[in-house]
Amino acid sequence: MSKHCETFEHTADVGLKASADTLGELFEALAEGLADFICRREQVKTKETITIEARGDDIEALAVEFLWKIMDTIQTNRKAVAAVRVMKIEPNLVHAQVDCEPLNPARHETGTEVKAVTYHMLEVREVEGRWAGQVLLDI
Amino acid sequence: MARQFEGKLERLDGNRWRIPRDASRGMRVDGIIYSSDELIKDVVAGGGLDQVANVATLPGIVGASLAMPDIHWGYGFCIGGVAAMDIDAGGVISPGGVGYDINCGVRLLTSDLHADDVRPRMETLTNQVFRDVPCGVGVGGPYTFSGGEISRLLNEGMKYLHHRGLASDEDLAATESAGSIGGADVSAVSMEARKRGGDQCGTLGSGNHFAEIQYVDQVYDAAAAAAMGLEQGRVTVMIHSGSRGLGHQVCGDYLKTMQSVPKRYGIDLPDRQLVCAPFDAPEAQQYLAAMRAAANFAWCNRQLLAEQIRKAFSHFFGKSAAQLGMAQVYDVAHNIAKVETYEINGKMRRLCVHRKGATRAFGPGSPDLPDRYRDLGQPVLIPGDMGRASHVLLGTAEAMRQSFGSTCHGAGRVLSRGEAIRKSAGRRIDKELAAMGVIAKSRSREGLAEEQPAAYKDVDDVVNCVAAAGISHKVARLRPMGVIKG
Repeated sequence: MSKHCETFEHTADVGLKASADTLGELFEALAEGLADFICRREQVKTKETITIEARGDDIEALAVEFLWKIMDTIQTNRKAVAAVRVMKIEPNLVHAQVDCEPLNPARHETGTEVKAVTYHMLEVREVEGRWAGQVLLDI
Repeated sequence: MARQFEGKLERLDGNRWRIPRDASRGMRVDGIIYSSDELIKDVVAGGGLDQVANVATLPGIVGASLAMPDIHWGYGFCIGGVAAMDIDAGGVISPGGVGYDINCGVRLLTSDLHADDVRPRMETLTNQVFRDVPCGVGVGGPYTFSGGEISRLLNEGMKYLHHRGLASDEDLAATESAGSIGGADVSAVSMEARKRGGDQCGTLGSGNHFAEIQYVDQVYDAAAAAAMGLEQGRVTVMIHSGSRGLGHQVCGDYLKTMQSVPKRYGIDLPDRQLVCAPFDAPEAQQYLAAMRAAANFAWCNRQLLAEQIRKAFSHFFGKSAAQLGMAQVYDVAHNIAKVETYEINGKMRRLCVHRKGATRAFGPGSPDLPDRYRDLGQPVLIPGDMGRASHVLLGTAEAMRQSFGSTCHGAGRVLSRGEAIRKSAGRRIDKELAAMGVIAKSRSREGLAEEQPAAYKDVDDVVNCVAAAGISHKVARLRPMGVIKG
């Protein structure tokens, strides 16, 4: 079991590129990469676990919808995210549990707010038994 | 990554370049890019030129697909782009032509304070503003609005804040569209978007958004500057922010729901992020109603930011904001689509003018301007980077003829955020800025590095280009003294 996520650069914005053994882990890697970008996860303690659900017309749209929910969890509902676990994933549906705690700007190290998860350069695909994906964030 | 532009680019005159109409790629009009010889290298490297050509393919586009000298790559449409579509000739509206941050814009306040009197206390004044103005991730504002209140705010814009005693007649008069654009309809705004905006009105956000304490360092037109309250040495406050999470969600919602729309109307697009609908189609009208609601939200956001800054100054100096002369110079939108009338081939036509990273710059005599500016032209506010300068310009009659009453919106980035961070390794950007006489405060871990002056073109070059082209008139240059960022 392995998953990995890193950022890449694009003009004024930032992208996330991830790979994992399974599709579920790929979604986890992208979600945790996004969370790290907005508010570094290493300082976050798990005080509650919330469930999120996203739907999309295809696997790529599903990834975008899922990441919007993660972004909302942090920026709208003000939760600092420690970890994301995908519980169920189908081509049009994903269920995940998010370990988190209330975001406290005095204690959590925050980065830059994300305006949107875009459809530009969007990719989710399986290559030689491993999943790879990338999305571009509007900053 | 932005790919190299492979189309034809020819020099039109000293300040404009042209991408000739290429029927093979479906272009209906030329692309015209405002740029000096010095800036064109950055313009080509910025990756927006293909997007200028793509926008020229959209139904109903008239004149040319325009780009300003601060152009850089965007989603579908470039940043720094202006596109006008003839509503009565099948012209379209596109959410991507406005962008995610609907009515991102700039507000400028003046004051009776003098830079020399304020400079010795700049650190503590900046700290006061940094404490009092909510900014950064996860920081809510002191203003919360119930569901019913947010509905009124979205439908009525600053008129609603005026009713609540949170905006004055003078604030409204000194705001584009009086801070209240007609035709907004809250029912076109999703509940998710409304929730995102509920407690974010009056918060700065992060990224390139800022509040800056400045002073007037150079006056180019003394009479115009005096009419705006911008005499040499005066302290000013500039605010750059937009419609926060609410506007971002509105754009995201409509980019998604409009994916299948172009096909329905037989519109063939070179890039799916140019999704659009004929202006009179129900899908277009619904987006327009939601976009206008988000625009109203953004004007209210900047109003409440200005209120908090006035309070911070008032607390700091022990005088009311009125005693400090903190009047609003103007407030402009630089991400918006508006219905405006222009003469095209000898006939007056109703156009849907998309400005994405471009500022309205109406010339003298426009009935849309408040009395105090009608003979001068519209004030145009151009933020630069936090080390060098910002500018105040006026719209011109030439802009009405050449660029659908539009001009540039800022300096334009030249370094990606990553490059900027790498270039600041081992450096203290706050110390470097302090040596330049600027106190800078940021909540985010890399905010100052990402936004360092070297990440942007020199705004003087951008402004000189639009002034030389005749689409703006220079009034004053403002230099930063204290900056707060999210």
